Amino acid sequence: MKMNRSIIPLLIIWSLAPLVWQLYTSFCTDQALVMPFAEHAQRWTLAHYQSVLNSDPPFLNYLFNSLFAGVLSTLLTLILALPASYSLSKLNQRTATLIKALLIGCALFPYVLLFLALLEVARFLQLGNSLIALSIPYAALSQPLAVLLLTNAFADLPTELEDAARVEGLTLLQRFRWILLPLIAPAIASTSILVFLFSWNEYPIALTWISDSSKLTLPVAMARIAGSSIHSVPYGPYAAATVLGSIPLILLVMAFQKPIVSGLTSGAVKG
Amino acid sequence: MTLHLQNVGRCIGNQWIVRHLAFQIGNDECLALVGPSGCGKSTTLRLIAGLDPVSEGSIAIGGHDVTKLTPAERSIGMVFQSYALLPHLSVFENLELGLKIRNVQCKDRSIRIQRVLDLLQLSDRASHRPAQLSGGQRQRVALARALIRDPEVYLLDEPMSNLDAQLREGIRPELRRLVLEQQKPTIYVTHDQHEAMAMANKIAIINHGQILQLDTPINLYKNPNSLFVAQFLGRPQINCLKPSDNQIQAIRPEDLKFDDSGLPCRLLSREWLGNTQLLYLASSEGDLRMIMDPSFECPERLFVRWDPQKAFYFDRETGKRIP
Ligand SMILES: Nc1ncnc2c1ncn2[C@@H]1O[C@H](COP(=O)(O)OP(=O)(O)O)[C@@H](O)[C@H]1O
Ligand SMILES: [Mg+2]
Repeated sequence: MKMNRSIIPLLIIWSLAPLVWQLYTSFCTDQALVMPFAEHAQRWTLAHYQSVLNSDPPFLNYLFNSLFAGVLSTLLTLILALPASYSLSKLNQRTATLIKALLIGCALFPYVLLFLALLEVARFLQLGNSLIALSIPYAALSQPLAVLLLTNAFADLPTELEDAARVEGLTLLQRFRWILLPLIAPAIASTSILVFLFSWNEYPIALTWISDSSKLTLPVAMARIAGSSIHSVPYGPYAAATVLGSIPLILLVMAFQKPIVSGLTSGAVKG
Repeated sequence: MTLHLQNVGRCIGNQWIVRHLAFQIGNDECLALVGPSGCGKSTTLRLIAGLDPVSEGSIAIGGHDVTKLTPAERSIGMVFQSYALLPHLSVFENLELGLKIRNVQCKDRSIRIQRVLDLLQLSDRASHRPAQLSGGQRQRVALARALIRDPEVYLLDEPMSNLDAQLREGIRPELRRLVLEQQKPTIYVTHDQHEAMAMANKIAIINHGQILQLDTPINLYKNPNSLFVAQFLGRPQINCLKPSDNQIQAIRPEDLKFDDSGLPCRLLSREWLGNTQLLYLASSEGDLRMIMDPSFECPERLFVRWDPQKAFYFDRETGKRIP
């Protein structure tokens, strides 16, 4: 117990230090960043934020693009994964275990190995430079994890709840609407966050599928900032972009904090 | 309305969970299904409700064959062992859901819900979530949900097994009155023989997915057709003597008499049950249970005898009654 308590501050420092450093860098003038202990006429600045926000196309544009792709891939993932995991939770034990093993295999597969093939597909079907099209591989790649998480959530529901609803006369869709979805809402929330995060951070596919600079997603746009000059890395603007890019995520996680935690731990303890 | 089962069975893989179920329940009858856990009681109810498919035989409600119908088309009111109340809805919304699905008018819904809530003394709990209710209240809500649709058949699956013994005895007369008032065929599942005798006018004893005997409680007690039935009904349990000639003689504890001669016994222990006392005796025929007057001071060694007319004889191999 004592051991645990002394570890908490260390854990907090461990996980928050990089973020704090990033925040510091984003508000720091270039000179102050290079020589932190010298005297400076001006130590703090908003210039990095200004440069990021006033770039062409404006940074908020990328933010919106990522948000759009993220929301779309999350919705697409859920629409496909919910029915799949419901049926999987109703299958007999042996078949279900086999399918789950396959899904785990897919989830563990390094998707970077796929991106060349995906690029060919995009070229063939002319899916390049479309954020809507981008959400298709995102949803596909998120599918195994989403199905696994949601299947467990469905399997954890007492079967008598659904049986009672069948006796009451609810059809499958009505059961979904009134019983299943509300009861697995925590699992849906945590799954959505994971899918959204994946799409928010994804780099190789976004890099190769999108070339139109007004349609870039955040990771690609930020990489461009970092690589915009040959001679130096523009730490300040890069940090500012990172901070701006994290704000929606922080808001999202804060809004869904409760369901996420209860979703991630559901099944661990029978309530 | 009657509920009629003909040779109903359910087979999973190559194993029969229940088989050869056949009985008929009239309008004002309550049949209790009793048997050890895992014997197929819940499965029987699920077959009647249409939750599981029937592998053979047919089910008819009021003369209509419903074997192939969905649960929604059968007009069944069912109370589940876990109550199966929706945790995210209030008591009112739990009751409302089934009516809403059936397109009952909003005003009509409120009236019907209010009536059931009043009937079950739940009016002040309408806006509570199931988690905020006591076990007894949850059980009444589950019953209310079955009552509100006015179904043709009632199926109650161990409705009181989650309640403590005292509460169970308090609720039993109320439940019995409510069920009898409905004048509908009712099946009451329990593994408690006391409850079965209190609630039902007929009892079916099930073991390994088959009905061993179906009769009135008194007939089952007086005339068990197998050793299993004789042992299942009646507490303290019936005494089985050492088998002889492939035959087991069994005698109820209350039929044993204390005497000057007969089977010599030694007192093992005794329990006071309030108005009687239960003696455990060791004899050459095996251990015996015997009911005596509580004031009786039992000596260390004694003789017991019984009227052979009152003993039952069963086949050692099959457990069937030998007349
Ligand atoms: N879907 C199923 N698959 C395999 N076996 C089942 C299934 N449902 C029930 N059983 C088996 O059928 C038997 C009877 O179950 P049940 O009807 O629930 O018994 P109870 O009399 O305790 O209500 C049990 O042994 C159970 O293991
Ligand atoms: Mg059961």
